[in-house]
Amino acid sequence: MEASDAELIAWVLGGNTDAYGHLVARYRDRYARYARRMLGNRDDAEEALQDAFVRAYRSLERCADRDRFGAWLFRILVNRCRTSGARRARRQQTFVQDETALMTAAEEHPSERSALREEIEQALAQLVPEQREAFLLKYVEEMSYEEMAEVTGVGISALKMRVKRACERLRELLQEEVERVPAE
Amino acid sequence: MSQRNDEMRNDDVLIEQIARDLRAEVRVDPAFDAQVMARVRAGGMPLRRRAALRWMLRPRTLTLSPLGALAVAAGFAGVVVTSTLTMRRALVVAPASVHRVAGAETVRTVQFVLTAPTASRVSLAGDFNGWSTTAAPLHRAAGADVWSVSIPLTPGRHVYAFVVDDSVWVPDPTAPRAPENDFGPPNSVVTVLGAST
Repeated sequence: MEASDAELIAWVLGGNTDAYGHLVARYRDRYARYARRMLGNRDDAEEALQDAFVRAYRSLERCADRDRFGAWLFRILVNRCRTSGARRARRQQTFVQDETALMTAAEEHPSERSALREEIEQALAQLVPEQREAFLLKYVEEMSYEEMAEVTGVGISALKMRVKRACERLRELLQEEVERVPAE
Repeated sequence: MSQRNDEMRNDDVLIEQIARDLRAEVRVDPAFDAQVMARVRAGGMPLRRRAALRWMLRPRTLTLSPLGALAVAAGFAGVVVTSTLTMRRALVVAPASVHRVAGAETVRTVQFVLTAPTASRVSLAGDFNGWSTTAAPLHRAAGADVWSVSIPLTPGRHVYAFVVDDSVWVPDPTAPRAPENDFGPPNSVVTVLGAST
């Protein structure tokens, strides 16, 4: 039977550093998706995810509910993504400036489906970070507003407004593109 | 009213289509786990273990009566060698010393260090040398209590221990313990990263 998060944490705190590798393997792919969607490129996403795992390890004793390590780690990741995004904004390396790369990628995958994926990622990148974060948590991570509030520290009414505005903006950006794609 | 409802349904379909695309799986670099674990090991230990180590290494002053001191000294004598060895340290993985061995895969030179002021001999035994107690002797730095040896290791996980004066097996105090050693003296683990990492 697979060890629980709480058991693995107990082993790590008892001196078995290797046990932490099981926690990394357990959560990396699931949380890589959020980081990738939030930050828009693989390198920044993996750096933020690595940072989250390392910070979680160093603060493992502070994980109050060890059976909910995943949720605790996710809060750290959300913060790392915010920091990474803000740092990049200061460098003026916005998502929009990746447009050339996105267009190139689209050309490499000429099917309509891949083109739509590129359009969606590009539209997502044009949202302000707060709206992008709220949209991803609600519709991609499929969290309740209560869970979102716990993760972000933002009030539920503000989160609802962010999601609403994110949806409106995405519709503006993508309506025309989606109408061109045949129904599955 | 009906037109408005149709628009809302269309909006929902659009958002759900966007979300479905964004829910697609994202795979990380195959070296991701090794990179995280290397940073974990290089960056220190969790809070509780750091606190415990600080507590162990904190200098203390003991005040004893002459009789008490005699009794403590008798008991202490048996363990002083081991405690001296285990309270100090260290393991260092040489960061950039990669070289090729003819006919073999890429190996990395790894330096093992132990502070052992009272030892006459120290050697390194592990799964990489068949647990030989003589194959990898450590050399004492001139005028210091530090013993070290550098050996080439292939990428992967290796289990080892120090052997002091041919008889006392000592785990590396700063390296992770090997969890599979349920009996006998504990061993330590070093993970050597591959060339791609």
